[in-house]
Amino acid sequence: MSTATSTITEPTPALAEPPRERHRARAVLALARFEARELLLQVPVLLTFALYLGYVALRLMGRDGMDDYPVLNTVDRQTQTEPLLFAVAVFICCNAAALRSRKSNTVRQFDVLAMEPWRRILAHVLSVIPYAALTALVVAGEFGLEALKPGAIGHGSVGELAVGPLTVLLAGVMGVLLATLLPSSFVPILATIPLYLLFVVASAAEDEGSRQGWLSPVLFVARSGGDPVPSDLLGRPAGWHAVYAAGVCAVLVCVALLRSGGRTRAVKAAAVLGLAVTAAGAAGQLSCDTKGLEAARRTAFDTPQKVQSCARHGRSTYCSFDEWSGVRSDWAEVVDRVQSAAGGTAAQAGLTVRQRIYIGDQVEVDGALDPSTTPGEVTVGTRWGGNRVPEFAVGAATVLVGGSEDMTTQETCDDARPVTVMWLVLSTDPTPMATFRNMRLGDSVSGPDEVLAPTNGLSLTGPQTTVIRELLERPRAVMTARVKAHWAQLTSASTTTAQAAALLGVKAPEEAVKCEE
Amino acid sequence: MTTASASASGPVPGHGGRGASGPATVTATDLSLRFGGTRALDGVSLRLSHGVTGLLGPNGAGKTTLLRVLATAVPPDGGRFTALGHDPGTPSGRLALRRTLGYLPQNPGFHPDFTAFDFVDYVAILKELTDRTARLGEVRRVLEAVDLSEVRGKRLKRLSGGMRQRVALAAALVGDPGFLVLDEPTVGLDPEQRMRFRELIAQAGEGRTVLLSTHQTEDVAMLCHRVVVLARGRVRFEGAPAELTARAAGRVWSSAERDPNALAGWRTGMGAFRNVGDPPKGADLVEPTLEDGYLLVLDGDDAAVGA
Repeated sequence: MSTATSTITEPTPALAEPPRERHRARAVLALARFEARELLLQVPVLLTFALYLGYVALRLMGRDGMDDYPVLNTVDRQTQTEPLLFAVAVFICCNAAALRSRKSNTVRQFDVLAMEPWRRILAHVLSVIPYAALTALVVAGEFGLEALKPGAIGHGSVGELAVGPLTVLLAGVMGVLLATLLPSSFVPILATIPLYLLFVVASAAEDEGSRQGWLSPVLFVARSGGDPVPSDLLGRPAGWHAVYAAGVCAVLVCVALLRSGGRTRAVKAAAVLGLAVTAAGAAGQLSCDTKGLEAARRTAFDTPQKVQSCARHGRSTYCSFDEWSGVRSDWAEVVDRVQSAAGGTAAQAGLTVRQRIYIGDQVEVDGALDPSTTPGEVTVGTRWGGNRVPEFAVGAATVLVGGSEDMTTQETCDDARPVTVMWLVLSTDPTPMATFRNMRLGDSVSGPDEVLAPTNGLSLTGPQTTVIRELLERPRAVMTARVKAHWAQLTSASTTTAQAAALLGVKAPEEAVKCEE
Repeated sequence: MTTASASASGPVPGHGGRGASGPATVTATDLSLRFGGTRALDGVSLRLSHGVTGLLGPNGAGKTTLLRVLATAVPPDGGRFTALGHDPGTPSGRLALRRTLGYLPQNPGFHPDFTAFDFVDYVAILKELTDRTARLGEVRRVLEAVDLSEVRGKRLKRLSGGMRQRVALAAALVGDPGFLVLDEPTVGLDPEQRMRFRELIAQAGEGRTVLLSTHQTEDVAMLCHRVVVLARGRVRFEGAPAELTARAAGRVWSSAERDPNALAGWRTGMGAFRNVGDPPKGADLVEPTLEDGYLLVLDGDDAAVGA
């Protein structure tokens, strides 16, 4: 040990001035900054934040074609559960930070210092704000990048976007509160799973239509796999929920402060205000006009034309819910492309493309749309990009060939029409064989299979598949001319697959087809 | 045999001494504190002034309790005290005192994952030093003062016990407290570290009021201008160390065998017995030490030292 003498000189007379509340508030902020920096050095916080960021980055770099057309009213909700693991780490580390003095036996030293325990608790709570802000930044970045995509559909909700950052804030606040209620470092680890289950159960109640589920500050979004619906049909009181969650945070902070001795007028007033905000948020989310919402959903499902706007592109009319108006030109491109390969009157026919959504007991549930029986009407869903493009092309081609989507409900087992439909779709596609494979449920280009479409799929038999493949191997221009020349026969229900092959000059399949009655 | 001559109910008036300086900065009157059925403090009155005052007493004498009361960690059941003009009996007075108080408890805790700098900075923030530049400068100053500048970036768990103790002293010194309360700061330190600590405490006592609780009478002899002896929650002596030593003048003698009438007696390294108490006629009197005076001030039960 060095015995060098050093002199205690020129101390900072920082304590000479009388304490003022503003000065004391600055001290709390200084401690909050210190604690925020300490949180950043915690491995769980760093690791889970890196995981969160990595997951978001990977998702944004997704190469699925549908990712080019994000529906923003689902993207905003996707941001809510992504930071959950990060929130758990913040919960545990904030708890540990608030218990640090107790664990390290520094309580006796620190309890005689100027800053009272409740101000230290306030600093711990404030130290979470940068992490909530960081989460908000990631959420904003993620949503912003999606929203800036040229194909972005609709709009998001600030209320939905606020849930992720509020979840992180709430987690930190709960960690600090738990430290004041049950001062043991094991408690947060034991509490994590029950709290998670509690929130999952509450969220499940929401998914089943019980609005009480919204009283869970953290909402786990159920991924039903159903297609998106217009924002006004979601019936999600996201804004009120954000108010509610913020109110819950404020109340929990006040409980923690009161527990640790901060029984000041300001804290008591903040607690009352927090309770009022929570109550207002809760009332706001529970007082939704369910009947009006149900009626709007029914209208959108049964008679969408009542709530849609239409626009003409070329010969056809394109009707959609307002949020999808930007995609109409993309639909028109597909219709024009498919129609360019058609012959007869179909080449000049004017179609009506109608956007439709499936609504069962709930919205966004996985359900099949019935084919439209209206002649010339083509159904399009609310997803676009990727496989949805050739699937829509199948729908359009079906209407061009069969007159209506109803054709798919008819027996087309040994029929030339499915071959013609697929020719219209694939002959104008830049990568026909890949598209053909992707559209079929079995991901193959041989044998019988189902081809996906916005409504009923199109069944292809083995011979029909063989003929389609044969056609695609021939010179495109020659075959297009033959299809147009024999359009009447190729769109007739009485023309068999073998006859179609003969008309188009390709080898007729030898395999026998057994059509079910 | 009882040798304490100081009033049990109040302090013995000071007689000045080494480094004695100026008027009282801390005044305690009739402090009492009870833990269950135990009277930890029983009418303690004392006056401290600038410089280092030693607090001696056997285990359980109430030293730590007195320090905790004076450091505002626990309020007394009765009596009052003021420190540096602040009355900790009121919230504003308590806050004002805490803003100018440095407290180093017995076996201080540490945040093992903090660096020495961060720990002292953390304490500086809790002392509400809000000007960031000034605060960081102050942290550097106190770490330099305790000779820890070189290791300020090291985590506390990687520092030796002596270094950690100096970090704790730096934390107590940060913000230039006018009143420094040190509870057995040299316990567990090796002689070299203890010497270093004495040096630091002596420096800290310049221009400040320092109350140093210790079991080491050498610490008091070397550092303090005044000494308070506490036993069973009562002040048994308050005065200069020389005065305490003088209490033993003519009451320490050497003998070949342990004198059964001595209050305390022990065989020295030279082989003879050193006895403290009332010497027999013709005893071979020897020069008393502060420790002899301390033993005489205490009750016989407290002071008994086996042969």
